[in-house]
Amino acid sequence: MTAATHAPAALEVPRHHAFGRFCRAYAKRPAGLAGLGLLVAFGVLALVAPLFIGDDQLNVIKVDGPQLSPPVDGYPLGTDQAGRSVLLLVIWGARESLSIGIIATALTVVLGSAVGLLAGHYQGRIGQSLMHVTDWFIALPSLPLAISLSAVLGQGAASITIAIAVTSWTATARLVRAQTLAVEARPFIERAKVLGAGNTQIMIRHVLPNVMPLILVSSTLTVASAILSEATLTFLGLGDPTSVTWGSMLQAAFAGGAVTAGAWWYLLPPGIAILIVVLGFTLVGRAVEHVLNPRMVGR
Amino acid sequence: MSSLTAPGPAKVKGQGVKRSDLLPYLGSKLVAALVSFFVTLVIGFVIFSLMPADPVRTLTRGRPTSEAQLAQIRVQLGLDDPVWERFLTFVGNTLKGELGYSWQFQQSVSSLVADRLGPTLLLMGTAAVLSIALGLWLGIRSGWRHGSLFDRIASSASLTLWSVPTFWLGMILLVTFSVGIGPIPSLFPAGGMADPSLPQEGWTHVVDVARHLVLPCLTMVLVVFAQYVTVMRTSIIDEMGSPYLLTARAKGLTDDAVRRRHAVPNALLPSVTMIFMHLGILVSGAITVEAVYSWPGLGYLTYEALKIPDLPLLQGTFIVFSASVIIMNLLADVVYRFLDPRVRAQ
Amino acid sequence: MGTGNSRRRLALAACALSGSLLAGAGTFAAASAASAPQETTLRVKMSGSGVDTLNPFLAFFDGAYDVFASIYPTLNSLDENGKPGPYLAESWTPSEDKLTWTFKLRDGLKWGDGKPLTAEDAAWTLNLIMTDAVAGTANGSLVSNFESVTATDPTTLVIKTKAPQANVTYVSIPRSGIPIVPKHIWEPQAKNLKDIKNDTFPVVGYGPWTLTEYKPEQYAKFDANKDFILGRPGFDHMVQQSFKSTDAAVAALRSGQLDYINGVNPTQFKALQADKSLLTAQEVGNGWTGVEVNHNARTRTGKKIGTGHPALGDPVLRRAIALATDRKTLVTKVLDGMGMVGSGYLPPAWPQWSWKPAAGQETPFDLAQAGKILDEAGYTKGADGVRVDPKSGKSLELRLGIHSDDTYDAGISSYLKGWLETIGVKLKIQTLSMSALNSDLAKGDWDLLMDGWTTGPDPTFLLGIQTCATLPKDDGTGGNTDAFFCDKAYDELFKKQLTTFDQDERAKVVAEMQDILYKADVDQIHFYATTLDVARTDTVTGLITGQPDAQGMYPAQTTFWSYLKAAPPAAKTAAASAEEEGGGGPLWIGGGVLLLAIVGGGIVLRRRSGAGDRE
Repeated sequence: MTAATHAPAALEVPRHHAFGRFCRAYAKRPAGLAGLGLLVAFGVLALVAPLFIGDDQLNVIKVDGPQLSPPVDGYPLGTDQAGRSVLLLVIWGARESLSIGIIATALTVVLGSAVGLLAGHYQGRIGQSLMHVTDWFIALPSLPLAISLSAVLGQGAASITIAIAVTSWTATARLVRAQTLAVEARPFIERAKVLGAGNTQIMIRHVLPNVMPLILVSSTLTVASAILSEATLTFLGLGDPTSVTWGSMLQAAFAGGAVTAGAWWYLLPPGIAILIVVLGFTLVGRAVEHVLNPRMVGR
Repeated sequence: MSSLTAPGPAKVKGQGVKRSDLLPYLGSKLVAALVSFFVTLVIGFVIFSLMPADPVRTLTRGRPTSEAQLAQIRVQLGLDDPVWERFLTFVGNTLKGELGYSWQFQQSVSSLVADRLGPTLLLMGTAAVLSIALGLWLGIRSGWRHGSLFDRIASSASLTLWSVPTFWLGMILLVTFSVGIGPIPSLFPAGGMADPSLPQEGWTHVVDVARHLVLPCLTMVLVVFAQYVTVMRTSIIDEMGSPYLLTARAKGLTDDAVRRRHAVPNALLPSVTMIFMHLGILVSGAITVEAVYSWPGLGYLTYEALKIPDLPLLQGTFIVFSASVIIMNLLADVVYRFLDPRVRAQ
Repeated sequence: MGTGNSRRRLALAACALSGSLLAGAGTFAAASAASAPQETTLRVKMSGSGVDTLNPFLAFFDGAYDVFASIYPTLNSLDENGKPGPYLAESWTPSEDKLTWTFKLRDGLKWGDGKPLTAEDAAWTLNLIMTDAVAGTANGSLVSNFESVTATDPTTLVIKTKAPQANVTYVSIPRSGIPIVPKHIWEPQAKNLKDIKNDTFPVVGYGPWTLTEYKPEQYAKFDANKDFILGRPGFDHMVQQSFKSTDAAVAALRSGQLDYINGVNPTQFKALQADKSLLTAQEVGNGWTGVEVNHNARTRTGKKIGTGHPALGDPVLRRAIALATDRKTLVTKVLDGMGMVGSGYLPPAWPQWSWKPAAGQETPFDLAQAGKILDEAGYTKGADGVRVDPKSGKSLELRLGIHSDDTYDAGISSYLKGWLETIGVKLKIQTLSMSALNSDLAKGDWDLLMDGWTTGPDPTFLLGIQTCATLPKDDGTGGNTDAFFCDKAYDELFKKQLTTFDQDERAKVVAEMQDILYKADVDQIHFYATTLDVARTDTVTGLITGQPDAQGMYPAQTTFWSYLKAAPPAAKTAAASAEEEGGGGPLWIGGGVLLLAIVGGGIVLRRRSGAGDRE
């Protein structure tokens, strides 16, 4: 990851200029725009879902659709075993899946950035030991660790979120540490020290703003893998089977014999939704990376 | 599971290492690996001791059991011992190569792991070789001509496939090529590793296992190869700016020769570490793929352990998976040192 | 690295691989057609969770019991009506005082290794289970009332019981009872029973089959015992194959790699009913699914334990919950209609024990009535629409624990939540792993839990877990109760049925007990899920035994008889599965990859300007 070691020069000009320049540069990247478009579309759908999806379509005691039927009138993507519209379930699932992904990412980024900043700033014993801890965690395979954690913490979204955060903060920590080292080597930090700024002040006021863009990149990519992890853990039966997420829909379909029934309308949509959102976050993350670090050629 | 921006090798390349530094270097890496392993043991124990669990009613599966029997099973499983005692037993046993006693299978975890190791190695090994080969080849091709149509197709395909949940791709392939859909007949078996009605040796058996291997292996390759494409492509693009390539071109070598003799070997170097680091991702893929295809390996064992959950078994598979990743990382460090021309040139 | 041919070599390797796979498919089909024209093999899916261990003293998994039923004998068999029949024993007679049973065993039977099979083997097996705690792991409770077991001569087995016991003839039956093992094989290793894997093949036993090979998680292979005393199996060999997912098993059945699956889910069953080459059969359910209510859990001394909601001690509230449960809808929606509406505590698979409330006594589905009785009892609704318990002042917010690995639980809980909300009771669904759920259950830390039991033909155990004797001690340990039920009249009847030797009389007592349970509304039975079986018609016949009833339901099947009576169809051709030969595999795969690429291809990665390259 070369981005970590090359501090984007653009960042030293006043911030609003930088932001304007960033937007203009970003707008030149069609892949990034496509990704952003996908995300905005899904985000809006998830937000407005309550306006047109109510208890009547989701509550099993009120729905009266055919059970596990292929697409028919009024059910463009068919129905699930309880007779609910798959299309509405996929839209509703976006709310839960996206929020788990985003909350897990927020946790990950806060944890990772804190460790990275501290390890980069205090280069003595503290930094050393923090990096040791990070190395240990890197050595742990993430899915088995996440599985073990969720199994122990009990079922449900909360434990899955925690499991994802615990298993994915290390990448962020290393990136942030490298960037912190690069920033702290610059003359203006030296100036601040001479002027009597304390450790906390240097980290919060001077280093953090310069590391922010990188954290942003890292977090968009983390959301992508968090959503994948959520679906995977839920599929393995660690989620809450009564909630509606893309992972739990696939789990219900798989456990309920949709494969045998050839119920493609039930298997395809949740998976494609995951694919699109993950792809969206990945594209946005890469585009941001490119804009901030022009040396990266066409990756 | 890990993001595409997985950190590169911890050591920044370019610090020339002399031959004389090699042994201490390897020694320190080995010590670090051992420390990592011990920490893994501690983490493993802590995680699995946090959970107060009384599995006996679950284990007896609704068989008629009397109170005395349940108490007897508790004593057998050592559920009544204090925590510190269990920790000492656990560390001692692990060092002896014993990983405890599975609740649901009524046998030692190590024997279960030993039974399942072969199938997992077969699946992961095949998938790793194929995806590395495919990924590197595509990566070199698209990096060398980045921006070409080939590059754009390869990049978008690998990016798309990377975004696909492995288990879902497995289900879709299962429906398509095993259940058979529309015009597609059922081409491959739907699960397991071998058809038990055939002889279990000789050429027939090899072919049979190969047929069972196709779909799970394909699922894993399709998801994993993208990692290698990305890594290799980046390295090639980074190499292309190097002055020595200009020199090579100036010498009048053909484009092909420049790529094969100069760019690729140098670009492979940073990729090697990434390849080893990404093997950990294969492990994660194996769990869901094995669950979907009932492949009798370690991942499937983990999936089964989740039901109760069978904590000793989960703990065992967790330790085995972690140990394998630690070993991979150690190998990556060693291989990297040996491949680095600055070392060989000494 | 990087020699001139590497690229082409790789391409060649890829071709070679796909080529060999296709060629492989060819050889495979040819091989199966050519091999063993006369020998027939029955290929079935292993039950449920497969085999945990081949050690019959320790195993708890369904798959293992199927194996034991095939390879180890039992004293009694089970006839089509679920009544004990002859197997090793030809006759059995209780004494006047009902404390001594004399079993007359067949003469001249031999174990697989040629050694004689006598009453001594049975006596040794039962004594080991009675005296050795490890040996009693799986089946100890079945012999807990045995005083002594002795073989007075090679064909006579005498069992003395501590108290009269009506179900002695159910203690050793195939699958749910105790398998008899050969003494001369097991005695030398009885000291370290815990570590015996019992995997020396062929396993020395006696039964319709001999176990010749076993690979954990993969398969168990059997040869038919052609001299089997209860009839010769119709096939020469049997393979039980392990599948994690039933879908994989169904795919194997469709493609001809498998002949029979015992237990598919309703969705799969419906999908397979359309297939004319398959036989789909429904057998009466041998288990129930329902919800249990924590009605102020108490210990043996009557001390309250746990964190259950106090209002659930009120029969009115429990009755309201039962009134608000639409069992019919649960059967239609959750089981896709493949089940029976629940009422009695013992499942319909065993008609001799099955009980229904008299006409007019059933609890109807009536939300209005449920609301009305709650109003009358003073449970008034708060501002948020949730009722409040007048006694404790707590609002009726109840936890409902469900098993994380049970698809029915997840389905049922959504419906219960909806119905109870309409009568002003709020449910909070908690998904729990099996261990967590059972551990909460024992401590009394729950309000409502999903619950389900299956049972063999002897109801003693299932009835027993509703007696006061199974309540925990004051420190919370030592319990084996299902729902903290404790009722003096019920306990009296429980003792009575154990000593009632006339089966019809015993059934009457058991019916009375079920009536008490039904009226208490503590275990509210939702439904009995039908067991759904699928078999290929071109490779096997005679698997399903018995006659279907008016609804087309077959009596409960046992794998013991099914596998024994299964036979190849009369006009069996040597052709194995009609394996489709298609050279299109790689092509299709290529197509699939392309398709995915096109999805991603919407994203155009634009070529960078030359200036960007040269930095």
